[in-house]
Amino acid sequence: MFSDLERKIIALIQGDMPVEKHPYQVIAEKIGVAEETVLSVLKDLCDSGIIRRFGATLRHQKSGFNANAMIAWKVDEGRVEEVGKLMAAFDQVSHCYRRNPGKDWPYNLYTMVHAVDEASCRKIAGNISEKTKVDNYEILFSRKELKKTSMQYFDDDPDF
Amino acid sequence: MDDTDKAILNRIQSDFPVSSRPYAVIADEFGISEDEVINRVQQLKLTGIIRRIGGNFVPGKLGYVSTLCAGKVPKNKIETFAKEVNQYTGVTHNYVRENDYNVWFTFIAPSMELIKKYLAEISLKTGVTDIINLPATHVFKIKAHFNL
Repeated sequence: MFSDLERKIIALIQGDMPVEKHPYQVIAEKIGVAEETVLSVLKDLCDSGIIRRFGATLRHQKSGFNANAMIAWKVDEGRVEEVGKLMAAFDQVSHCYRRNPGKDWPYNLYTMVHAVDEASCRKIAGNISEKTKVDNYEILFSRKELKKTSMQYFDDDPDF
Repeated sequence: MDDTDKAILNRIQSDFPVSSRPYAVIADEFGISEDEVINRVQQLKLTGIIRRIGGNFVPGKLGYVSTLCAGKVPKNKIETFAKEVNQYTGVTHNYVRENDYNVWFTFIAPSMELIKKYLAEISLKTGVTDIINLPATHVFKIKAHFNL
């Protein structure tokens, strides 16, 4: 599916790229190809949508978004498409997914909300509820970060 | 963080230049020097505002599957449960959240069978048997760009 070269480049840009004048040259030297080759493969990966986003990932807490809440919504299946689109349209919603409910967990739509504090998160949840007429929901504030990292695709971990 | 820092952050979150000297491209746009952009970005990393600079992938397009899992974990077991869960490289995010299901983690792996196998291993090792597995069936939005 992916060439050796693509896999090597993906492996080297999925972490943290060095901040220096010629970051792609550094990657090219590690693989033993020309810088132009790295640039052209990277552009293709971006254009084809395999790379969803290429750039800086911020720590929300340090950039003024102190609270994050996952809101789990129970929505009639017949309304999921309509409600999902309405929820996604909220600027404060960063992620919106439909998921299959679990056995004692009836919720099927999930939104991530980022705001300055928890009161604002609750208010946003209220606004979404009002807009979508969905009133069965659970706000799950994060109390502790246990792990946050980026995925290591194509690494040689024995797990894979 | 001043206005130039904020402008740089807004500029490089989704569209970091893919060209030989990316910081020179940004420098030209803002009318400042390449060295200044590099210094500012290095500073933003040192202070922890930038977590990393790199690619973010769609797991499915790389032949992987991803899911969200949650465990009902007794308070005194949270630490050992987290330690067990976090050692899988496919677990990329893991949070304590306020609910009966109190430990929420994302899992990425080459197949759902593998994820189920890992969850069974976790249950066996930690005694936490109530773990829900909630794979996404439809993505309405993924936005990871925050306007500052």
